[in-house]
Amino acid sequence: MKALSFEGSGWEYFKIWIVNILLTIITFGLYHPWAKVRNRRYFYANSTLEGRNFEYHATGKQLFLSYIIAVILFITYIIIQKVSPTGSLVVVGLLFLAIPWLILRSMMFNMKMMSFSNVRFEFKGALSRAYINFFAYPIISYIGLFAIAYAMIYAFKLGGIVGGVLGSLLLLAMFAFLVFAISYIKKKNSEFFIDSSHYGQGNFQTNLELNEFIKIMFKTLGIGLLSMIGVSILLAIIMYLSFGADSLISMGNSANNPSLVQSIIAAILPFLALSYLLMIFVSIFVMAYSITRNRTYIFNNTRLDNNVTFESTLKALPLAWILISNFIVVILSLGLALPWAKVRVTRFMLENTLVKAENGFNDYLSQKQSQQSALGEEIGDVFDVDLGIGL
Amino acid sequence: MVKGNWHKQGSAAQQSATLTIREDYFTLEIQDALPIHGKLLSLDVSSRIGNVQRNITLKDGSVFCTSDNDSIDLIFKNHLKGEKLVHKLESKLHLVLISLVVAILTAFIFFKWGVPWASKQIAHALPYETNNIISANTLDFLDKYLLEKSKISIFKQKDIISHFHNKLAPLSEDKDIKYKLHFRLWEDSNKSIPNAFALPSGDIVLTDKFIELCKNQEEMDSVLLHEMGHVVHRHTLETVLETTFITVSVMLIMGDPNGMADMGVGVGSLLVSSSYSRGHESEADMYAFKHMLTSGIDPIAFSNIMNAMTSYMKENEKTKKEKEDDESILNYLSSHPNTKQRVKIAQEFSKCFKAGLTECKIDKAILQAQ
Repeated sequence: MKALSFEGSGWEYFKIWIVNILLTIITFGLYHPWAKVRNRRYFYANSTLEGRNFEYHATGKQLFLSYIIAVILFITYIIIQKVSPTGSLVVVGLLFLAIPWLILRSMMFNMKMMSFSNVRFEFKGALSRAYINFFAYPIISYIGLFAIAYAMIYAFKLGGIVGGVLGSLLLLAMFAFLVFAISYIKKKNSEFFIDSSHYGQGNFQTNLELNEFIKIMFKTLGIGLLSMIGVSILLAIIMYLSFGADSLISMGNSANNPSLVQSIIAAILPFLALSYLLMIFVSIFVMAYSITRNRTYIFNNTRLDNNVTFESTLKALPLAWILISNFIVVILSLGLALPWAKVRVTRFMLENTLVKAENGFNDYLSQKQSQQSALGEEIGDVFDVDLGIGL
Repeated sequence: MVKGNWHKQGSAAQQSATLTIREDYFTLEIQDALPIHGKLLSLDVSSRIGNVQRNITLKDGSVFCTSDNDSIDLIFKNHLKGEKLVHKLESKLHLVLISLVVAILTAFIFFKWGVPWASKQIAHALPYETNNIISANTLDFLDKYLLEKSKISIFKQKDIISHFHNKLAPLSEDKDIKYKLHFRLWEDSNKSIPNAFALPSGDIVLTDKFIELCKNQEEMDSVLLHEMGHVVHRHTLETVLETTFITVSVMLIMGDPNGMADMGVGVGSLLVSSSYSRGHESEADMYAFKHMLTSGIDPIAFSNIMNAMTSYMKENEKTKKEKEDDESILNYLSSHPNTKQRVKIAQEFSKCFKAGLTECKIDKAILQAQ
């Protein structure tokens, strides 16, 4: 097993980033496609494995037309949104309908423009599967969730022991359904992305179990709950130590006196800020846990033909630390540390990705590929459609 | 002599290779393969980014990769023209710093003056009907969710309307605008809210509490003129255009934003757009003051009604000290200029009025304090 490595540096990327921003500003945005290419090329080409590296092959010229179309669509969308409430509903509906197509086209374009050791990747997903995955499943889940929620409210309204028991059962059912639906969609999406991906003549394959996703989700929820309780207890202790029990109780009794309430609010304001910050950190940690576990499970069960296997050594705590410290540094630097933060995360992710090629990579050959327009990719980019793959 | 690796077209297998140059020709010596000769000009060289590996594509589609960036730049210095400039900017420290400063300055100028100026030009270049399009259904919407039927007597309403159409409406510079007054009751948690606002179509809504708070016709006229100022200057249209500009340019500049950047950008755009709308309020104030001078209304009336509305809203809520503290902080976020400033300007205009002037020059320092 060999780890991928990242050979760029924060300072080097900072220079590329700031020049990109400058040129984008003084060309009124026209330079953006070229800036995007330089960004991507920097990150791809610096990602290496045993002296071989990735490459991004799209050119600014190639992206330009699609980009202009996407920007015009975006401006139209913003204006409609500002001017007409019904119009903006229609547009949001259309966008929602288009999302599966956008994701598919964007995947096809990006994979095609990516190579490793001179061999191109390819994404061959069916449009129908994209609509099942990104449209049908979410809609069915929402309908199911609302149906159960509606039944639950109805049961609680019935009152009595029967209503109470039935309502509680339905509450549990709603929770179970939510966990099931999210895990199921995660599994289906991962399968779709991996099984449709190709490297040269090689095929990526994966073998995933729904049970594992459900287990990970339950653990994530448990950890989330525990850490929230932990933070609350910690805050309670800090407040107790700084005010003492007597004044805490008298604070509770003074709720009817407006001028007292104001001074109390002023006194506990720092604690509110502290708890808000702690809650952000806890949610970052829980997110890091979920990312880490899912990634490890998916990587360990993914192959390229019978030749290449993968492994993820990502750990939740170090990842959470990187995300939290990045968050603080980026805010304190008013965004100027963004390039450094991005390099740091990328390096960390790559160094925790292990690859083992039984027979090496020498036998892989790029396959003949048809021309591909960048329209889907650019619309997705401009509208900030999240692809939801953090591999 | 440049060392690197060579790939056959589309193949992952790499063979070590050396590139040598003699005048306009190159020779690529490849391990375990025949050497390749050719013209330098037939090679396609990827542009330089930091220190990442360069790919040189040969005519037959095979690729020679090398990390010896400096040698490649030297050999192909006549080959790579436009792309070299970008790398030059990126590699010199002082150029990077200059880029940083120029980028920040350009962005500042663009947001401070460029966006409002361009929005104004476009807003006034658009046909008048645009105003009707953007205000269509707005009043219906407000009636359904926010406003209630007015309790002001029909006679009083008729009085106000006929006075408005006889005295104020003819002052409007834009004869296309069809002004119409509407009376509504606006209640929020059992408190009647004093307010007056204009839709771009020329519909002006006055709430019951506002009419109640007006002690005389002059106070009401001053606010009506302020609202007419918004309509004549097409402020709603300008706001639509300004926010579009902000959203689109932020999207273009930030490229691929992530969660943290999004948050900062959100706060930034909020600050920028509220500064634009403060500009609109001041412009509407100026419009009102100018017309008050020419039509014989003492501008102090505006100051009086502003004070009456502010103190009504803040009644019993806070002590005076806190009120002042709040205003200085909220000034950055508020869409309206600081009330004290507006009152001060009204007083300056009132001085001119009492001196019998029909034009008034205000000290720049007072205006800019906004």
